[in-house]
Amino acid sequence: MPDVDVGRFRLLVSAIAGKPMDVAAGEPGELAWTDGTTIFVDADERDALHSLAVQATLVASGSLAPALMDKLARRPTPTRRYLALEGHRALAAMQDLLPASVRCLVDRETASRSESAEQSLELATGRAGVPDPPEVFGAIRPKRVRAPVDPTGDAPFARHLPWRNEGTRQSLDRDESDDDTPALDFLSSPVGGGGPIGRLLKRLLGEMRPGGSDAPGADVPTYRSRRSTRVARPSALTIGAASIPDDAELVVGTSAVYPEWDVFRRRYRRNWCTVVERAVEPAPESAVGAPRADALRHALARLGVELERRRRQPQGHDIDLDAAVEAYVENAAGSAPDEALYVDTVRSRRDLSVLVLLDVSGSAGEPAAAGGTVHEHQREAAAGLVAALRDLGDRVALHAFRSQGRTAVEVLPIKYFDDAFDTAALRRLDGVVPRAYTRLGAAIRHGAAVLEANGGTSRRMLVVFSDGFAYDHGYEGEYGEADARRALAEARRRGTACLCLSIAAATDPDALRRVFGTAAHARISREDQLPGVVGPLFRSALRSVELRRRAWQRTHRTRERLRVERRTA
Amino acid sequence: MTPGTRPYYVPVGNEEQVFGAAYRQGLSVLLKGPTGCGKTRFVEAMAHDLGRQLVTVACHDDLTTADLVGRFLLKGNETAWVDGPLTTAVREGAICYLDEVVEARQDTTVVLHPLSDHRRQLPIDRLGVTLDAAPGFCLVVSYNPGYQSVLKDLKDSTRQRMVAIELDFPPVDVEEKVVAHEAGVDHEMAQRLVRLGQAIRRLEGAALREVASTRVLVAAGRLVGEGLPVRDAARGAIAGALTDDPVVSAGLVEMIDAYLDDEPV
Repeated sequence: MPDVDVGRFRLLVSAIAGKPMDVAAGEPGELAWTDGTTIFVDADERDALHSLAVQATLVASGSLAPALMDKLARRPTPTRRYLALEGHRALAAMQDLLPASVRCLVDRETASRSESAEQSLELATGRAGVPDPPEVFGAIRPKRVRAPVDPTGDAPFARHLPWRNEGTRQSLDRDESDDDTPALDFLSSPVGGGGPIGRLLKRLLGEMRPGGSDAPGADVPTYRSRRSTRVARPSALTIGAASIPDDAELVVGTSAVYPEWDVFRRRYRRNWCTVVERAVEPAPESAVGAPRADALRHALARLGVELERRRRQPQGHDIDLDAAVEAYVENAAGSAPDEALYVDTVRSRRDLSVLVLLDVSGSAGEPAAAGGTVHEHQREAAAGLVAALRDLGDRVALHAFRSQGRTAVEVLPIKYFDDAFDTAALRRLDGVVPRAYTRLGAAIRHGAAVLEANGGTSRRMLVVFSDGFAYDHGYEGEYGEADARRALAEARRRGTACLCLSIAAATDPDALRRVFGTAAHARISREDQLPGVVGPLFRSALRSVELRRRAWQRTHRTRERLRVERRTA
Repeated sequence: MTPGTRPYYVPVGNEEQVFGAAYRQGLSVLLKGPTGCGKTRFVEAMAHDLGRQLVTVACHDDLTTADLVGRFLLKGNETAWVDGPLTTAVREGAICYLDEVVEARQDTTVVLHPLSDHRRQLPIDRLGVTLDAAPGFCLVVSYNPGYQSVLKDLKDSTRQRMVAIELDFPPVDVEEKVVAHEAGVDHEMAQRLVRLGQAIRRLEGAALREVASTRVLVAAGRLVGEGLPVRDAARGAIAGALTDDPVVSAGLVEMIDAYLDDEPV
C-alpha cells in the first residue's frame, strides 16, 4: 500500500494515547518510533497499524517519561529489553482500550513480570533474561523523546493536532547519525525559542523541531501558529519582498475594475484599480478540526435577534382580535374567512452575511508584541470569527487581500459564501504568506461588491482585519486615507456595515481609526480578547447602518410624496 | 403510563434514590448530561417505577409560555381554552419532563418558578386562575452542559429551585449491558462497539464537538442486528453521525476499521 496517507491514523493514535498525536511517514524499512508527539512509521509496513497502536500505548502509559529516557540514553541493549518488557506491560495494562488485533500481541508472561515503567527499567538494566521485542513494537529512541509525556494526559485537547511537513522530516534525517541535536535544544529553550533571535534562526533554518512539539514553558501558546509561515520553503524566507507571489498561482475569478477617489483633484479616477481573484495554494497539511470559537459564539449569539409580535398568524399564543372580528364578519357575510387569526411572538431571523477581509500585506509578517507574527494572530482571529458566525447560521466568507500597485490588487478567496469552512479551507488559510502592500480602498470596494452580489441577506457586514494603514505605489498618507474613507462611505450608504479589527499590531493603527471611525475600529493585543470587543462593535455597526438606511428610506419616501403632490397639484 | 414493562435502565450511582427522594418531597429535578447518555430513558424508568404518567416536552427556541400552559382557540364563533402539556401534567399529577430546557427562552422558563418551589402552583393569567399542582406532579428538566450552554444558560433563579442529578456515559460494563440489551446483539459485539466508543471519547475536543454517545453505539448495534456488516453499521451510525468534515471522517473510519477488526483466532 504505497499510497497510504499515514495522517489518516492521527485520530486513532490520539485516541489511544489520550492526547493529540501526529503520525508521519518514516524511512522505508525503519522501525516505528515516536518523539512523544509524532509517531514515525513506514507506511508500507504491513503491520503499520499495530506499530502505531503500540507506540501510542507507550505514550499513554508514561513509558517514555523523560526521567526514564535519560537513563536509557545511548544504551541500545537495555533500551531493547525495556521496550520488550514495558511494551507488553503497557499493552496489558491498557488492553481494554485497544483494538482486538492489538490486544493479541500481548505476551502475558512477559507482561506479568513488571508492574510499572520503573520496574521494567530496573529489569531491563538488570541481568535477567528478556526476550527480544517483536519487530511490530518498533523502537524507542530515548534521546528523541522531546515533549514531556504526561500519562495523566493534561495536554490540553483544545490545541489542534500538530502539523507535519516534509521539511520537518528532512531536517530530522540530516542528523540521523547523532541523536543529540543542539540546534533543537536551542530552539526549544525558553530563551531562544520565544526571543527574537530564536525566531530569526527558526525562520532561517525552517522548522527544525519535530512536528509541532511543545516548547518547554515559555513559548507563547499561539494555538496552531507554528504551522504556516515557517514552512521550510524558500517562499517563506522572502517575506515582504515585492515579487510575484508564489502561494497564489492560479487566477480563478474574473478580474474587476474599480474607481479610486483622488482627494487632491476632488474627483474619482475611473477604472483605476484592477482587482484579481487568485486561488491560494493550500498548505500541504493542516490541523484536524475547525477552530473552537465558543467564547466568540457566545458574544455574537444575540446579535440582531429580537422578539417580534406578528399579527395574523395561523398559530400563536393569543387571538388577534382584529382578524377574529373580520373573520366573523366574513363568515356572517357568507364568504370563506382567513384562518390566520392569532398573534405570535417570533424571534426575528439574523439575516446577516459577513465578509471577512484579511490583510496579508508584508507588514503582517512582522513580529507581534505578544509573540508570533501579526499575521498569525490575525489569522487565528479571522478563523475564529468565521467559525463562530458559521456556527450561528450566518452566511460568511473569508478573503485575504494585498496589492502590488493599482493594476494588481489581489484577493485570495479562502472561503466563498457557499463553501464549507472545513479542513480544505483551513489549509488554504494556512497557505497564505504575507507579502507586498495594501490598497485598502480597492479591497473594500471589491468586498462590498461581493457582499452585495453573493451575500443574499438584508443585513451585510464587512470586517477588515488589518495591522496598520494602507500603503501601496502611489497610495500613501492623505491620499490613501481619503480613498479608503470614501470607499467605506460608498459601502455604508448601500447598507453594508463596515468595521476594522487590529490584532497584535506592532505600530499604532491611528490611521485606521481615522478612516473607520472610533466606533468601528478596535485594537487588541491578542486574539483571545476578541470576544470582549466584537459584540458591542458589531451591534453598533449594524445599528448605524440600519439608521442610515431608514433615514435614506424616509427621505426617499418624502421625496416621492412631494413629487406625487406636485403632480396632482 | 400504561403498566407495561419497565423501560431498560441500569443505575450507575445513586441517581434512582435521589430522584425518588426528591419526588416524595415534591422537589423539581434537574438532569445534566451529554447527549445520548440516557437522560430521557432514566426519566421514563422513574415514571414507570413511581406509577405516574409522563408528559414530555422537547424545548426549542420558539417555545412560548402559551405552548406550555395552553391557549385559546377559535371554534366556530366561540373561543375554547386548550390546556398545554404543563397544565395537563399539573392537573393530573403527572411527571412533566422538559427536555433540553436551556433551548427554551428565558422568559418562558420563568413560568416554571412558582411550580418548582414550595408553592407548587401554576398561575394561568389568561384564565385568571391559579392551579395547585395535583399530588404526584413532578417537574423534571434536562440539559446538556456541553456546547448548547455556550449560547444559553439556565437562569440562576431557575437552577436553584431544582435538585441536580448529573449523569454521564455509563461505565464500560454497564454500557456493554445496555448496548447488548437495546440493540439485541451478543455480548462480544457489544464489547467491541463499546470499546470503539471509549476510544472516540478519548478524543473529545480534539476534532469532534460531541463524542460517540451510548445512543449511537446502540444504533450501530441495531444495524448489526439487522444483518449489516459491523464496519458498515459503524460508519453509518457513528462516523457519519459525528462529523461532516472529510478529514475527521477518514480518521474515524480508520478507528472503526481498527477496533471492529474481525476477531483474531
